[in-house]
Amino acid sequence: MNTKRLRTIIPLAVIGVIGVGFATHVGVGTLSAIGWQDISLLCPLGALATMIATKTLLPRAVISVVIALALILLFARAFCGWVCPVPVVSKIRGIFSKKTSNTDMTGTGVLPAEDNPLVKAAKGSKADSVADAADDADTADAAALAADAPAPLSADEQAALSGCGHSCSSCAEKRATLDSRHVILGGSLLSAAVFGFPVFCLICPIGLTFATIVLVMRLFAFGDVAWGVILVPALLLAEVVFFRKWCSTFCPISALMSLVGKANRTFVPAIDNAKCRESAQGTSCEVCAAVCPQGINVRHPEAGMSFSECTKCRACVEACPTRAITMPFLPKKAAPSTVVVEDDETVPAA
Amino acid sequence: MADTENTAAPKKEGRPVITRRALCVGLGGTAALLGLGAVRYAGSAPLVRPPGGQDEEALVSACIRCEKCYEVCPRGVIAPAHLEDGILNMRTPVMNFDANWCDWCTEENGGEPLCVASCPTEALKAGSTPETGVLGVAELNQDLCLAYRLIGCRFCYDACQFEAMELDENNRPYVIADACNGCGACESVCVSLQNGSISAGATERAIIVRPLES
Repeated sequence: MNTKRLRTIIPLAVIGVIGVGFATHVGVGTLSAIGWQDISLLCPLGALATMIATKTLLPRAVISVVIALALILLFARAFCGWVCPVPVVSKIRGIFSKKTSNTDMTGTGVLPAEDNPLVKAAKGSKADSVADAADDADTADAAALAADAPAPLSADEQAALSGCGHSCSSCAEKRATLDSRHVILGGSLLSAAVFGFPVFCLICPIGLTFATIVLVMRLFAFGDVAWGVILVPALLLAEVVFFRKWCSTFCPISALMSLVGKANRTFVPAIDNAKCRESAQGTSCEVCAAVCPQGINVRHPEAGMSFSECTKCRACVEACPTRAITMPFLPKKAAPSTVVVEDDETVPAA
Repeated sequence: MADTENTAAPKKEGRPVITRRALCVGLGGTAALLGLGAVRYAGSAPLVRPPGGQDEEALVSACIRCEKCYEVCPRGVIAPAHLEDGILNMRTPVMNFDANWCDWCTEENGGEPLCVASCPTEALKAGSTPETGVLGVAELNQDLCLAYRLIGCRFCYDACQFEAMELDENNRPYVIADACNGCGACESVCVSLQNGSISAGATERAIIVRPLES
C-alpha cells in the first residue's frame, strides 16, 4: 500500500473511530482533545488559547502543550500529512475543479506526479538506463543513452539552483523566516487574550469537521434540526474550497508546528550521494523537489522551503528514481553528503 | 514584526523575516479573528449548562468546543448549543432533557459527573453535586400541562427525586423552585407534546428546565 493512500485512510479511520466514540459514549474525544475518558491530549493551540483567555494555568493544558511540543520535535508537521482530516476533506475540491484534482493542500501545492514534466523526464530516462543495462551496454547504446539523458547542469544552472533566482517572489516567500500563518497564529493568541475566549476554535476546520459529524449524527439520531447542520459544513467547505492553501497560508496550528519543527532533526529526508542522479551522475533531476507538496527541495534545501515544513509524507522517498532518499530516525553523522543536516533555518533572522 | 522584505539580497545575509504579501494576508486573517471575537459582546441568552458550567463567562472563556463532554455523557443529555443560541455559544455544551436527565453520574460514576472529569480545559468546574449544583429551574406551563386540564397526569411529580414537586388539592403538580436543581427528570418524562390533540399548537413540553438568569 503506498503512503499516499495510507495518508487518506488514516484520517478517515480517525474520523471513523471518533464517530463510533460519539455513538457509544466511550469518551475518545475528538482531535481537539483526543484521549481516553479524563485523559486527553489537547490541541496545543486550543490549550494555549484557553490558558491565555482564562489567564490561568490549567494542569492538563500545560501537560498537553509539553507533550505536543515533544511530538512536533520528533515528527515536525507529520500530523498535517498523516492525521489531520482537513486535507482529506479538501479532496471535495476535486468536485468543483477537475483540473487541479491532485494538489495536496497541506503544502504549497504541486502538479500531480504523473503530470509533472520533471518526474516524467526522470522516469523516462530511468527506463532508458535500465533497458540499457539489461542490453549489456555497448558503445552505441551508451551513446544513445548520453543523447537521451538530460545534460549535466551548466554552471549557470547550478548557480541558479543553489542561489534561487534573485527576483522571483515565490522564492522570497520560501526564504522568509515567517509567513502569513505565523501572523495568524499570533492573531489567534491575541484575539484569545483580547476577547477572553479561544476565537479561532470557532472556525477551526479540524473542529468543524468533527462538529459536522456530530451534527449530522444528531440530525439522524434525534431529529435535531438546526441551522448548524447546514452552516457548519458550509463554513468548513468555504475554508477548504475558497482558501485553497489553507494549511500553508492560514492554519495557525500548522504555523505552530513549523515554528517548533525548526528544531526537528528526526526523520528528515536524507540523500545517499552515491545513488542520487545529481551527485553520482552529474545530471539534473529535481524529482524530489517537484513532488514535495511542501515545496521542499531535498537536494538543494536552500532553494526550497525549510525542512520544518516537512510532513514526513515520504513523497520524495517514493518518487526518487534511484531510491537515494531515506528518512532515517537520526541524521547520519559526519557524512558530508547529508545536505539536510545543516538546516539553514537555525541561523537567527537578521 | 518589521517588514523586512528584501528579495534582492543574497541568501542568508538578507533572509527576509516575512514578505509583504504574507504579512498582509496574515494581518487580514488576524483582523478577521479580531472581528469574530467581537461576538463576545453581541450578548447571548443564558442556557442550561452541564454541571460545573454555570459560570457562563468562565465556561465560554475556557471551552475549546472539543465536544468531549457530550461524547462521554452516559445518558446523552449534553448537546451542542445551536447557532440559534448565539455564534459565541455555538457548539458549547447545553443540556437536552428530551429523552433523559442528569443525575450527576451518581448511577454511572458514583456522583462525579463524567463531563466534568473529562473536560480538559476545566470549563466545567469540579465540585458540582445534585445537592449543591443548580443547572436551572423547572418551569411548568399550566396552559400546556395535561394535569391542568384535569387529565390526572403526574409523570413529572413521580419522576422528581429531589422533592421539588408537589401536588395541589386537585392533584395538579407544581414546582417548588427553591428545591429544584434542574436535573431535568420532570422534563424528560413530560408527555404533553405527545398528546397533540389535547395540547394542540404547543411547541414545547409543559415542564421545561429554564436557565437560572432568564
